[in-house]
Amino acid sequence: MACEDGRAMEVRLTLNGKPVRVEVDPRERLLDTLRYRLGLTGSKEGCGEGECGACTVLMDGVPANSCLVLTAQCRGRSVRTIESVDAKALGPMLASGATQCGACTPGVVMTALWVKENPGLRDSHTLRELMAGNLCRCTGYDGIIDGLHAWVESDARSGGAA
Amino acid sequence: MKPLDEATLIPSHMPTTNRPSNMGASVNDNASRLDAVPKVTGSAKYGKDYHLPNSLYIVFIRCPWGAADFVSADEAAAKATPGVVEMQVRGKSCTYHGQSIGYIAADSPRAAKRALRALAPKWKRTPVKTQISDTVKDNPDIGDDGQNNMNGAEVTHEAVYTTPVQTHSSLETHGGAVDHRGDRATVYASTQGTSSSRDGLGGPLGLGQGDFELVCEYVGGGFGSKLGGPGKELTTAAQLAAKYKRPAYMFCNRSEEHLDTGNRPSSRTLARIGFKKDGSPVGGEIRTWGGTGVAGGGGGASIPSGRYKLGEIKKLHDDVSFNGGGPRAFRAPGHPQAAFAEELMLDEVAAKLGMDPLALRMKLAGGEHRKMFEAGAKLIGWSNRKPNGSQNSALRTGYGAGAAGWGSAGPGGAAEVVIARDGSVESRTGTQDIGTGQRTGMGIVTADALGIPLKYVSVKIGRSTLPPGPGSGGSVTTPTTAPTMTAVAKAAKTQLLELLATQANAKPDEFSIKDGVVLRNGEKYLTWEEACGKLPNDGITANKGKGERGDGHSNGVQFVKLDVDTETGVIHLRHVVAIQSCGRVICRKTAESQIIGGVIQGLSFALFENKLLDRNTGAMVNDNFESYKILGPGDMPHIEPVLWSKGQSGFKALGEPPTIPTAGATACALFNAIGRPVRDLPLTPDKVLAALAAGQGGAA
Repeated sequence: MACEDGRAMEVRLTLNGKPVRVEVDPRERLLDTLRYRLGLTGSKEGCGEGECGACTVLMDGVPANSCLVLTAQCRGRSVRTIESVDAKALGPMLASGATQCGACTPGVVMTALWVKENPGLRDSHTLRELMAGNLCRCTGYDGIIDGLHAWVESDARSGGAA
Repeated sequence: MKPLDEATLIPSHMPTTNRPSNMGASVNDNASRLDAVPKVTGSAKYGKDYHLPNSLYIVFIRCPWGAADFVSADEAAAKATPGVVEMQVRGKSCTYHGQSIGYIAADSPRAAKRALRALAPKWKRTPVKTQISDTVKDNPDIGDDGQNNMNGAEVTHEAVYTTPVQTHSSLETHGGAVDHRGDRATVYASTQGTSSSRDGLGGPLGLGQGDFELVCEYVGGGFGSKLGGPGKELTTAAQLAAKYKRPAYMFCNRSEEHLDTGNRPSSRTLARIGFKKDGSPVGGEIRTWGGTGVAGGGGGASIPSGRYKLGEIKKLHDDVSFNGGGPRAFRAPGHPQAAFAEELMLDEVAAKLGMDPLALRMKLAGGEHRKMFEAGAKLIGWSNRKPNGSQNSALRTGYGAGAAGWGSAGPGGAAEVVIARDGSVESRTGTQDIGTGQRTGMGIVTADALGIPLKYVSVKIGRSTLPPGPGSGGSVTTPTTAPTMTAVAKAAKTQLLELLATQANAKPDEFSIKDGVVLRNGEKYLTWEEACGKLPNDGITANKGKGERGDGHSNGVQFVKLDVDTETGVIHLRHVVAIQSCGRVICRKTAESQIIGGVIQGLSFALFENKLLDRNTGAMVNDNFESYKILGPGDMPHIEPVLWSKGQSGFKALGEPPTIPTAGATACALFNAIGRPVRDLPLTPDKVLAALAAGQGGAA
């Protein structure tokens, strides 16, 4: 993934909370920088055109399909990938059957994280609407929606008790 | 504030963590997937994730038309592209969109793509056929046998049912990465057959089987398309890795995946069938045509299914070729297409007989299916069903039902159980987990056979160097491996108890293990860990044992409830009840998930999926996930999986049967709602509106 014609550019961004400097081809997709250059293969490529959501990352806290984002566009931005997520914090998502083959799962979890961290979204949208950007071929979504439901509910309960 | 799910049309859900109706149905009701953490956190490594240093990246050169003769290409320009290492162009005539005529290998994916652009192959298009109806235009006359079978019929029915090509659409595409180190290699594959892929790679790698390992610890779905050896993607990577003694990587993109990695073939079914007025079957003739593209292998041929008594049926089948990629096994091959035709045919016959379609099914189906139909009717609320076409409101509700069945297999394969001195247990078998829960199931049966909590057990699968297991096809993986693993774990337990008995100068049958405690004559003797501490240094390894076969069918029934918006033609799925038997259930949650997953693929087939070939050029027009629509979260109804554990024993099939009846039951529900059948999948709004318009016109 070197820049064959020597047109490398430097991009500084915050990746999973840490400052990162990468030299990339100006045409390089963020997904490729993550997977090929940085070895962060948690983000998956399912379709390469922003339909399936398997490559979802959070850019400045908002879900983005990293197959549709140029790394150059991340200059000065904060990018969060599945590698930053602590398994211990995902309890209900692990117990609900939210995964089968697992290829869509990292993207699902990143969108779910956005939903969880932004409770206001749920005032105007259903969980199914909020998850509509992530396709799954195996689970039938029930486990995903149930897990997310339990996850955000557990948050609401602990918040209420505090 | 309450989540909106409960307040909107989208039905509420019963949490998968607590389905009271299924509690007690399985060996382990509460276990979560053993590999949930690596999958959910993205640390699980799939074949596609192995980007090895200094790797070659390979792209295939493919025909962009349904039929075309290769004319020329700018090979010099392609070879001159920086980073290109090797190119092979085998100019020839192609017969489907996506057919490969060679490859380019380069130092990076970008270089390979740029070379492909520079190559700019020129083609001369030739005439195409793109569907069954290009060849089969008219309904042939009924044969003498079929005519004789219909003698004595008081009510007859003749209709044509058609289904489109469906692609597997696994999220991880086909391919592999090969790390060739000269005299050794490691292959990272995405396959449903660890053993069969290994068997096909010795030649391409130029190595003996003992000199390479095939690894597929995680597979991003397959649904049948990753059976049958390494495939051309992985084979090409292996050949080039061997030639250049460096890693090589080849994975399809989404378009290539739709075009050239198999599909569920299209089908056309011509049913002519007769009944007595009381619903007794008389017989008839059923002709099927399978739309097999450029290959063979049927499509929708599995009608009559044998699940309903239909009298004496003359059955005829022909494969029809056209300019499309060939089929591969796809979750219950031939069955969803056949069940669509059979179930909707039964509902149409019931309407002619003036019978409730469920009453007709109760007359035609076998004993276990009848009991399941009775139970499912209560769960879906069948008593609320209104007669066909009796509703006048804009939004109309429909109910439909269908049945499934699948044969049993096993036991077989090889397995190994190792008990270590620290109490940890490892169960090993080479078979792969394509998302079914194989790893979890192996852990649960091992723990159950040993009498210890699951936390002590880790599972190693998905490597060719492990004891060989079966390919994931025909729903045989668990029925094959679970009895074997159980028997091997029991053999390990026997060894352990014999050793404890010898040390205590006692008889082995004085000892037993329950809930992680070793009992002697029913009294607590040692904890599991204390007992294992008495083992010799190497612990215990067992690898012999013959399991018991789970006989009988995995039967099931499904009910679908939906609403139809008669102004837009849009179908809103509301509720699906899926009752399924599979012998002794190992893990409640993964079994429920398999059933739900089968249902969603059936619903997606019913409402959306259709591999569309342009009728002039033969090119697939929707080779993506944007216009090849698969069911998303917002399209889902509330699905209620019911594990039918009454009278079940042995480990039986589960993967395929739950996807068989869904599309048929959905079509029946639509017929019930609007009073007119839509006999062509997918059930898109245009067809719903056309059916409604035909009904208003009073056409027959």
